[in-house]
Amino acid sequence: MGTLLVVLVLALFLAAILTGGYNKDFLERVRHSKVWDWLTTVDHKKIGIMYFMSGFFFLLIGGLEAVFMRLQLIVPNNDLFTGDTFNKLLTMHGTTMIFLAAMPMIFGIINVVMPLQIGARDVAFPFLNSLGFWAFFFGGLLLNLSWIFGGAPNAGWTSYPSLALMGFNPGPGIDYYVLGLQISGIGSLMSGINFLATIINMRTPGMTFLRMPMFTWTSFVTSALLLFAMPPLTVGLLLLMFDRVFGSAFFDPALGGSPVIWQHLFWIFGHPEVYIVILPAFGIMSEVISTFSKKRLFGYTSMVFATVVIGFLGFMVWVHHMFTVGLGPMSNSIFAVATMAIGVPTGIKVFNWLFTMWGGELHFKTPMLWAVGFIPTFVMGGVTGVMLAVPPADFQYHDSYFVVAHFHYVLVGGTVFALFAGAYYWWPKMFGKLLDDRLGKWHFWLFFIGYHLTFFPQHFLGLFGMPRRVFTYQAGYGLESLNMLSSIGAVGMVLGTIIFTINVIKTARSKELAPADPWDGRTLEWSVPSPVPEYNFAQLPLVRGYDAFWIEKQAGNKGMAPAEPLGPIHMPSPSYIPVIMSLGLFIAGYGFVAHAIPVAVIGIAVVFISMFVRSFQQDFGYHIEPEEIVGSAKAKEVKA
Amino acid sequence: MSENTNQKTTNEMSHKPDGTAKHIFAFIVMIALTAAAFYLVATDVVPENMILPLILVFAVIQVFLQLFTFMHLNQKGSAFYTIFMIAGIVIAVVSALGILLM
Amino acid sequence: MASHIHPNDRPKQPGHLETATFEGKNKVLGFWLFLGAETVLFACLFGTYLALRNANMGGPTTQQLYDLKLVGLATFFLLTSSLTSVLAMNAMNRLKQGAMQFWLGVTVLLGLAFLILEIYEFVHYVHEGHTFTSSAFGSSFYALVGTHGAHVTFGLAWIMTLMIQTARRGLTYEMAPKLFVSSLYWHFIDVVWVFIFTLVYLLGKVG
Repeated sequence: MGTLLVVLVLALFLAAILTGGYNKDFLERVRHSKVWDWLTTVDHKKIGIMYFMSGFFFLLIGGLEAVFMRLQLIVPNNDLFTGDTFNKLLTMHGTTMIFLAAMPMIFGIINVVMPLQIGARDVAFPFLNSLGFWAFFFGGLLLNLSWIFGGAPNAGWTSYPSLALMGFNPGPGIDYYVLGLQISGIGSLMSGINFLATIINMRTPGMTFLRMPMFTWTSFVTSALLLFAMPPLTVGLLLLMFDRVFGSAFFDPALGGSPVIWQHLFWIFGHPEVYIVILPAFGIMSEVISTFSKKRLFGYTSMVFATVVIGFLGFMVWVHHMFTVGLGPMSNSIFAVATMAIGVPTGIKVFNWLFTMWGGELHFKTPMLWAVGFIPTFVMGGVTGVMLAVPPADFQYHDSYFVVAHFHYVLVGGTVFALFAGAYYWWPKMFGKLLDDRLGKWHFWLFFIGYHLTFFPQHFLGLFGMPRRVFTYQAGYGLESLNMLSSIGAVGMVLGTIIFTINVIKTARSKELAPADPWDGRTLEWSVPSPVPEYNFAQLPLVRGYDAFWIEKQAGNKGMAPAEPLGPIHMPSPSYIPVIMSLGLFIAGYGFVAHAIPVAVIGIAVVFISMFVRSFQQDFGYHIEPEEIVGSAKAKEVKA
Repeated sequence: MSENTNQKTTNEMSHKPDGTAKHIFAFIVMIALTAAAFYLVATDVVPENMILPLILVFAVIQVFLQLFTFMHLNQKGSAFYTIFMIAGIVIAVVSALGILLM
Repeated sequence: MASHIHPNDRPKQPGHLETATFEGKNKVLGFWLFLGAETVLFACLFGTYLALRNANMGGPTTQQLYDLKLVGLATFFLLTSSLTSVLAMNAMNRLKQGAMQFWLGVTVLLGLAFLILEIYEFVHYVHEGHTFTSSAFGSSFYALVGTHGAHVTFGLAWIMTLMIQTARRGLTYEMAPKLFVSSLYWHFIDVVWVFIFTLVYLLGKVG
């Protein structure tokens, strides 16, 4: 109750400040501050940076949790983090990495890069974009506050009932999980809709679907997956919340409920989720490999086709997570075949990357190193995936370290490698400065070697019978040396990440500005200055083919041909409503976690009142005049 | 872009709005299908194992009428709405059947 | 993107006003995408209900509980409100603001009638011993039908908000897509109800 009071007072205080009831001068100063600018921004590039940076922050937290687990497992019968503490660590590590690190960092890159790649000035729904970010942020905050207030969730990132039900898990941990994910999930759905509408409606003249860069294509399919995969999670979390807070009986067998329904709902979401985080990684790798091989992406059309097929099949394979539930040989066989079928389009992609590099003029800058490291790593993860898709074999691998090794090979070797590649590649577009290449190479090698040292032995640990999610093991079963190796490997990943952080800080302090096109790029984002002006394109570019910017460079043109005369540019106005609305969701979430329904009602009321206010607001944005655009361009030239 | 938008605007302005008569006809069909479904369940005119398939067919016809007349999916320029709606329906059916049957 | 149309302008010619502006096009597309997501959301609730509908744990069964007359009446109200909603959109695209407001008003009244019937039904069921916490059947029933009811409630509040805005601002280029999208939402609620009366009530009577 005490913490609740603090939250309430804080909310009231904030409301007083924001409505100007506190002090007019202060309000004016706040309005012109940088913080206010970032809180209320609807600029897709700034939102992208906030997504990426908060995602990176959560990546560090999740990484710390992983390090704690490896410390516990370094020797047999260790007692550093045992029992419930270890359960909390593994739950929060998984949940944080998937929902609060991988997805937001991907959304960050999509937000910054995708509108630039299709030649758009903004996303379709700038307001919704900001709302999506703040919902994610407050959801993540709520989830992580569980460490401080009352205990973190401890039922695994899958949070299966009956373990997650009140009878077996009476603390508030699972409630934090349910509400935190529900709130950030709302944000993800909004982002999905926003990206889809942007790609469908906002492409510049000439940018047909089959001229879109590969990263935009993968963003498109990922957004479609988000659109259809988030609702099952929403329903699952809602039902779990009802069971825990209001005493309903969806998953409670004593009252006729069925815990298997949760598993279905969770994995109908959960499997597409895997592709949500890996497809944009494929896109990033395609861009990087093509740019640093100085070659057109091999088999572009088949790449697009493979992406769409993976997206579709992603919805038809969820039962492979449930082979051992006992759904019967028929279900298991059908889903096993569907799962193995996904190997085909994925294989197409791998060969296309190899053939893109084949005969190309290879430049091993940091992003390319990540891409080259990614290919064999990801293939290994894919191969163990096919092994796991065989139901009789899966009964052996199930819930062992073999599974842990498999999904870390695809999620770290796929998504995280791609995120680092994307960070080095697009950093100049996000911040106007290049990350240091020498430090980048140190980062890559330390992380890459450390990573394989950590996870490769885990395949064998699994085959030797070590179960996942268990906090210790006994000596004398042949598990000691491999666990020791695995924990030593984690040090390499930690050092790599520290070097990346140093690199980021060093770059932020450096005065050296990046050129507009540092890598001799092929797509539209390299045709605009770094960092990108708020209106993106002074004149929308006219696209003449795939690799639009490359075509113009080959033809000897200085830049893109304009598709419109210079004119006033319409910009959306910033808004404080997304933050308020997300704060309302946060308060509501906290109310449900504390089982304090009045607080939850207050929070929901804040959300609806904000929606009402927004509906009545007549805010048509503002215009940037051509003189201003030309003026700023000239000022830049003088500086240069 | 701006010219593009203007041109499309004038194009669309020349389209005539939908006829009210068509909507009222669709409505009558919907009411008839609903009444038929209720009637089938309330009486024993058809064997019990035939009732579910029949009322499901009636429901699907109604939904298509809603989508394509009331919600204007038949109009030009709604290709993407249709694609995403169909994808949604396919995934919805697979998910619901998955939960129900397994 | 600087369209020559100001959002506060009033259209002069009849036509598809909802997609006349760029913002309108985005809004309608975005809303269709949202409806695709809603389809999956309701499908999950349907699946859960159908899987759990016989787990009544000794409470009343579907056959004992459901009253087809009440459901038939509610269905009639909601189906008719779908028609009046589309008539309102036809009036909007003919620039007849008065007629549009009238049909929207009728839609709201019919929606309210539906909601009252549903609340009455729920109260009745609770007295029969069929509650949210009594059994998995009860939980899944109220989750599915209640989520639909919540959508109806939200839709009513939404349409009324837009009626007030239209009364204040007139039928502008900004209002047209907002009104159209709310009407799409209303039709979608009706689509879901078609499956609820078929798969919950009628199927419940068949067994």
